[in-house]
Amino acid sequence: MSYQNKQIAEVAELLTQRVQALKDKHTILRAIELKALYDQIPTLPPAERGSFGKEVNALRAELQVLVEAGAAETQKLPPIDVTAPFDVNVPPLKRPRPVDARVGSIHPLMSELERILDIFARMGFAAVESRQLDDDYHMFETLNFPEGHPARDDYDTFMTTEGLIAPAHTSTMQHRVLKQYKANLLNDRAISVVIPGRVFRNEDLDARHEHTFYQLEGVYVDKNIHAGHLIATLKTFLQEYYEQELEVKTQPFYFPFTEPSFEFALSCPFCQKKGCNVCSYSGWIELLGCGLIHPNVLKMAGIDPKLYTGFAWGGGIDRLVMMKHDIEDIRHFESGRLDFLRQFS
Amino acid sequence: MKVSLNWMEQVSPVKLAPDGIDTLVEKIGAQLGAVEEVVDLGAKYKGIVVAKVVACVKHPNADKLSLCLIDDAGVTKHVKRDPKGLVQVVCGAPNVKAGMLVAWLPPGVTVPSTIDKEPLVLEARDIRGQVSNGMLASAHELGISDDHSGILEITEPGAKPGQAFMYVYGLNDYIIDIENKMFTHRPDLFGQLGVAREIAGIEHQKFSSPKWYSGQNSFVTSEDSKIKGLEVVNEVPDLCQRYMAIVVSGIKVGPSPMWLQSYLARVGIRPINNIVDMTNYIMMLTAQPLHAFDFDKVAVNGKAKIVVRNPRKGEKMTLLDGRTIEPRKDAVLICDADKPIALGGVMGGSGSEIGPNTTRIIIECATFDMYNIRKTAMEHGIFTDAVTRFTKGQSPLQCPPVLYKAVQMTKELCPEAMPIGKVADQYKKLPEPEAVEVTAEFINARLGLELSATEMAQLLENVEFEVDHKNGKLTVAAPFWRTDIAIPEDVVEEIGRLYGYDHLPLVLPKRDLTPVKPEPLLSFKSQLRHALRRVGANEVLTYSFVHEELLKKVGQDPKYAYKLSNALSPELQYYRLSLLPSLLEKVHPNIKAGYDEFALYEINKVHDKSQTDKQGLPIEDERLALVWTANPKAAAATYHGAAYYQARLYVTDLLQSLGISPVFQPLDQVAKQTVSEQQSALAFEPTRSAYIKTANGEPIGLIGEFRAKVAQSLKLPNLTAGFELDTALLMKLANPSTRYLPIPRYPKVTQDISLKVPTKLTYQQVYDFVWNELTKIQPPDTLPSLSPVDIYQSQDDKTHKNITLRLSIASYQRTLTDTEVNALLDQVAQAAKTKLGAERL
Repeated sequence: MSYQNKQIAEVAELLTQRVQALKDKHTILRAIELKALYDQIPTLPPAERGSFGKEVNALRAELQVLVEAGAAETQKLPPIDVTAPFDVNVPPLKRPRPVDARVGSIHPLMSELERILDIFARMGFAAVESRQLDDDYHMFETLNFPEGHPARDDYDTFMTTEGLIAPAHTSTMQHRVLKQYKANLLNDRAISVVIPGRVFRNEDLDARHEHTFYQLEGVYVDKNIHAGHLIATLKTFLQEYYEQELEVKTQPFYFPFTEPSFEFALSCPFCQKKGCNVCSYSGWIELLGCGLIHPNVLKMAGIDPKLYTGFAWGGGIDRLVMMKHDIEDIRHFESGRLDFLRQFS
Repeated sequence: MKVSLNWMEQVSPVKLAPDGIDTLVEKIGAQLGAVEEVVDLGAKYKGIVVAKVVACVKHPNADKLSLCLIDDAGVTKHVKRDPKGLVQVVCGAPNVKAGMLVAWLPPGVTVPSTIDKEPLVLEARDIRGQVSNGMLASAHELGISDDHSGILEITEPGAKPGQAFMYVYGLNDYIIDIENKMFTHRPDLFGQLGVAREIAGIEHQKFSSPKWYSGQNSFVTSEDSKIKGLEVVNEVPDLCQRYMAIVVSGIKVGPSPMWLQSYLARVGIRPINNIVDMTNYIMMLTAQPLHAFDFDKVAVNGKAKIVVRNPRKGEKMTLLDGRTIEPRKDAVLICDADKPIALGGVMGGSGSEIGPNTTRIIIECATFDMYNIRKTAMEHGIFTDAVTRFTKGQSPLQCPPVLYKAVQMTKELCPEAMPIGKVADQYKKLPEPEAVEVTAEFINARLGLELSATEMAQLLENVEFEVDHKNGKLTVAAPFWRTDIAIPEDVVEEIGRLYGYDHLPLVLPKRDLTPVKPEPLLSFKSQLRHALRRVGANEVLTYSFVHEELLKKVGQDPKYAYKLSNALSPELQYYRLSLLPSLLEKVHPNIKAGYDEFALYEINKVHDKSQTDKQGLPIEDERLALVWTANPKAAAATYHGAAYYQARLYVTDLLQSLGISPVFQPLDQVAKQTVSEQQSALAFEPTRSAYIKTANGEPIGLIGEFRAKVAQSLKLPNLTAGFELDTALLMKLANPSTRYLPIPRYPKVTQDISLKVPTKLTYQQVYDFVWNELTKIQPPDTLPSLSPVDIYQSQDDKTHKNITLRLSIASYQRTLTDTEVNALLDQVAQAAKTKLGAERL
């Protein structure tokens, strides 16, 4: 590269030569000659500053390229014997050994999920994991959302260019689960399944909103199932989970795939309704959506809604964990920060 | 959805909050929908009184200020009065004059419009040498309209000095904001009337709608020689199920009366002028959107023609908000003889709107297809109050009463207004609501209740359903505004909610003792987590979506990845092809945060376009990836050698805990197979990486260090290596039973064998050779084991390396001697010499 400014051209020549000899090529970017050129910029007459500055930057870019090329070269390490348990000439005390076991951790969302699944297993629920990429048929159609239905707007779904959907709720598995376990009904046994999984909402991030989070869906179908069974099941689970007596209440809601639909709230397990930070001093925590499975959803899975009724619910795992540990920012979960993760060692 | 308690009570035959506002709000929450906010509007107006300006003179020291003496009938305490009991207030409004009734804000009162911002509390203060006791307020300062051109002149009949101001306009009100989402299927609940009815219903009170809404109305119209008619042509009767319109003359456009402005303002609508306010008022009351056009901007020679149609090719229109759009091809346009005048059901056009000189109007009351409205709104990004309501499915049967009410109200607002000619009414077919047949037993079975058919009928009749019931069978006819009642389950919801879900019996379902089969993969993943935690690894969860840059940094080709088409964040472009890149991204930030050595792992799914299942859905690849890294400066004291061996240690430990003995095969020696395998391999440095296989040669993953370019672009320390495994496959291969071997009663003999071998031989080849030779010649009934002791290479001889292995052997029958074991190793060494060219050291 040629430089108009003589002084810069000289420094360029000097440094491009010097970098060849350097072992740690990165240090060339901190050369005092280069720094001197930068320091000179503010002292120049304003008219010259622009062009001078541009050339200095160009020189730096040129050096950067050399550094990177050189780094790639020097980092090209010799082949190793991948079948060996350790490298050659390594004394026994400096051979591979695991990181201190005491700092090992399981992600808090996963350990909580494990606990939740354990309780549901004890209550008689099988578990099926949800998909992370699905189609319109499972995400909407089989859940009684007609094409173009405004209720679809409540789910800010990510779409792929092929028209596939990043599921916005674990209900995307309902149809599959109903079909998969339909045989239970013929054997006079209930369908009772929980569905954990990662779900996605196309929204901006902040301390309370993530585009990626975890939900747990539950499905129960049998003869003579009513809304009281639903509330009792959720209450029983929550009391087991929080290891205390709780009050629960419902608010009417609308989901196309349940009728009636509810929003379900529990009395705050952290303050016993006295009012605290977690429940925003309301004494109640709104936790999940639920309802009796819509007859169209059962029908689509080949289950006769005149013979069988059932309930379903879905709720976020992240929120449970945030409340439990008083985690202030939902973004920590997917941050990969050891500052966060190792607190759960 | 904001509702005003006072407004609702105006249309309700029953008291809606008989037990107070708190009980009402609780009931709404439990039986109607979550309450987001309750505003005690009256609290904002506490202390503000109606006063009469008795005298008004120019302020002695200011040209634009007036000095007023006002009479509040003496109701306000702690204020300085003149001998006649009048109070002095300085006022800057141009319209202040003696004799008018005004809203007086005495000292101590907070200006209502400032309450939600920076509250301004008034005091008695000196203004240019004259004391002003509080202030006289404009409608803007009172927070009931935008008007701040002067102070509010109270002209309501019956208003008198000393009266609390809030009662003049019914501001002693509660505004209840109920979450919209519950009303997705309830067109009626987007109006005050519908919510009032529903509240009565949940309070088990009988509601009846005003006559004009539920009864029959007939329009009384007259003729006007200057108006030669209104013709409506509906070319798209499926997209616009009904179009009604009427011409009204004698209009005088001006500000609405204050009561009207104040009702709109409290439910969040900005007052514009009397005609627009009228349409909004009726929409907020009934949930039916209306639109008013200026007749003279639409008509030609006194004759107006309205065509409801789809846009012509390339047709554009300018909306009320000034935007010019090219409407989507299925959008419904309301047009005059040649051009669009409104985007039907969404927003009016700019050429036909009501202006100050409008004298004749067309009032439109129509029904549009909810799906089509939604698409139009989404495509053009227009979300108006009309869109919100039309997308819930308003009934075409609602048009006649609403249009009738609109004409009535126009007459009240403009005393000379008169509907002219015939009401235009175009529709192909009107819905005929069908009754739903259901039994009390069906309903009780789904609610766990034991209500009688009579009780059920009563609950429904309270909200104006017509119910016939006989022998437990109910025939339920929903009123026309309920477009959501179609199947028996809808009636179940209705009864359950009106009755109150808090009365449901809480019992658990009964089940038999058949054990639940746990989902094997979920339990397996759990097992992996616990195994990795025990070796100090930290589980991370990272996004399933990655930036194109990340794919490129690790050499992957985005064409194999599913691409997101609508992500808000530019970071989220593709479904990831493998897990490792996401983990590598987390290395540098953690090093920077001061962690010198760590192992991060993730168990998750990845997707690529090359594999789909029978339904054409992408196969979800289950993966486990781990990356170990160390800050070279800090690690030097404790660790020597390539990072690869650390990763190898982790994977070997993990696999052995699953009963799988891994074999490592150099990456550069094996042909790459699937797209996902090939794409995953691209990040690895071939000379320092390996395929991980089972002893039977089945590939289960990749392990290694990363290419210099990858390391550089992700700022990885030199000491970084990782692996990625197929979790689903691991689960299949895992063999949980440990192969237990009985413990020999006789002592073990341990001896080393050091072999100098050519460098090109791998450790594995040497080890396998020694082991095979040993097993051939081991004495009967013995238990041998062979482990590595050292691998040494001299600085001077690069063609050879020394491998030292340790043999431990014990017999089940007798004590082995050192000489005997040494002889074994001699034999092995002899074989190694001839077959491997090895020399025993």
